[in-house]
Amino acid sequence: MSFNESVTVAGVLFKNPVITASGTFNFGREFEEFYPLSALGGISTKGLTLCRRDGNRPPRVAETPSGMLNSVGLQNPGIEYFLKNELPYLRTRGTVIIANIAGSTVDDYREIAEKAGESAVDMLELNISCPNVKEGGVAFGTLPSKVREVTEIAKAACGRKPLIVKLTPNVAKISDNAKAAEDGGADAISLINTLTGLAVDYRTRKPILANVTGGLSGPAVKPIALKMVWECYNAVKIPIIGMGGISSYTDALEFIIAGATAVQVGTANLVTPTAAYDIVRDLRAYLKENDLDVNKLRGSLVI
Amino acid sequence: MDYKTTITQNRRVANGVFKLTLSVGALPEILPGQFAQVKLPDGSALLRRPFCIADFDRAAGTVTLLYAVKGKGTEALSALTKGGKLDVLLPLGNGFKFDASQRKIMLIGGGMGAAVLPAFPSAYPDKEFYTFLGFANKKAVICADLKDKSRFALITTDDGSNGERGFVTDKALAEMSALKPDSIAACGPVPMYRSMQKSFAGVSAPVYVSLEERMGCGFGACLVCACKIKSGGNESYKRVCKDGPVFLLNEVCL
Repeated sequence: MSFNESVTVAGVLFKNPVITASGTFNFGREFEEFYPLSALGGISTKGLTLCRRDGNRPPRVAETPSGMLNSVGLQNPGIEYFLKNELPYLRTRGTVIIANIAGSTVDDYREIAEKAGESAVDMLELNISCPNVKEGGVAFGTLPSKVREVTEIAKAACGRKPLIVKLTPNVAKISDNAKAAEDGGADAISLINTLTGLAVDYRTRKPILANVTGGLSGPAVKPIALKMVWECYNAVKIPIIGMGGISSYTDALEFIIAGATAVQVGTANLVTPTAAYDIVRDLRAYLKENDLDVNKLRGSLVI
Repeated sequence: MDYKTTITQNRRVANGVFKLTLSVGALPEILPGQFAQVKLPDGSALLRRPFCIADFDRAAGTVTLLYAVKGKGTEALSALTKGGKLDVLLPLGNGFKFDASQRKIMLIGGGMGAAVLPAFPSAYPDKEFYTFLGFANKKAVICADLKDKSRFALITTDDGSNGERGFVTDKALAEMSALKPDSIAACGPVPMYRSMQKSFAGVSAPVYVSLEERMGCGFGACLVCACKIKSGGNESYKRVCKDGPVFLLNEVCL
């Protein structure tokens, strides 16, 4: 028997490679009405900042062909609230907890990485790629030199907790940023965050989003995400968590074949609340049926 | 909460407005103001579309949604026929709630907002309803049969083509001292709420309204359907889908 669905990312064991993506899962509670969170490989929390953030003015969402544009703007209750009121509960749910953290200055990143590093989360995911907030970190995520700098700072601050750096696709060459994260000491990278986009109402000649622009996600971005995962897989040695429009177990397999060790499910959670659960179940059935170890599929793209 | 439903009717009931009845099976508890998230067929849209539960029939195991055809999603929905299947999440959100002491309920519906009201007598058969419905013109009138389940009912249109001419909120206000409702439930467009925040300021009964916003998930996870609510001197964004859609009128920042 070689069936195996568990993976290890930066020394952290995931019972299966399916993680719910930051910003699409809040802190998990809403999904417990649909399935037990213990079914998941892991949960990446709503993006956290040092202080609570109100987020952007509505409307914050627009439907686009096979996708959605959002401009939530990192609305969150702040990391202290999370550590006190959400994490103790999440810890009891039997799944890997990843704190997604964002900041506006280097000092913010240092401080929040320190707080998350001292907490009971399993891993940190450094959000240097939120496109919806001027100070949401994307300034750090675009230039490779900045990616390296902020990664070094967060890594030094977060102690022994493994650090994932989440990359933006809105760059010249994403593999350069992946290498910069690796050089800065990242234990893993995750990609892609959303692509910046614009939705227009031709009748009013106004943007649909109050924030004007937003981040595009959903099936529309999948081919771009797959290409970027493949490109990074060929550029770095650290593990990759792939995401971008994953809605089924076959989508998950495609990312793993392109080089991802694990995957994140995002927009699909909003359409089908059981999406991540269904992907875990269907991926398991596929691996069992074909007597496969998911680790053997990684990067197996045949060119 | 996640139901595979069958369409028992989907027909036009007013200008651009359709009535969709779904066979659900054993119904969960439903409050007026709660809504359904409908997955459109054949991938005609990615995100679900939220519609208020206009009414429900526990004995028949059905829910009825009223929707205005506004864009591609609702156009695709309006083309579906009896026997078609729809994947629906329901009931979502916090509906209108009353305690036992609140017996006389004033209902105010403006335009499509009237679609929320038929569920009140179904959910609260023991209460008395005083119903005010306002529309642009006679072609836009929906839920007129609600008057059969109300102690008092009045329809207004902006042009006087059905019922009395004028704004529904003005008529409701004029009857306030005679009817003395224990609670007021309103659903309509934002300008109606804006005018009510001024004109209903002196009304002693609590006024609850149902809000609407572009939604993502509908169950509280994505934080896109934000509405600003002031409570205890603080203003903060709440989720229309999970914290609402029903809020106290005087706490809503419009």
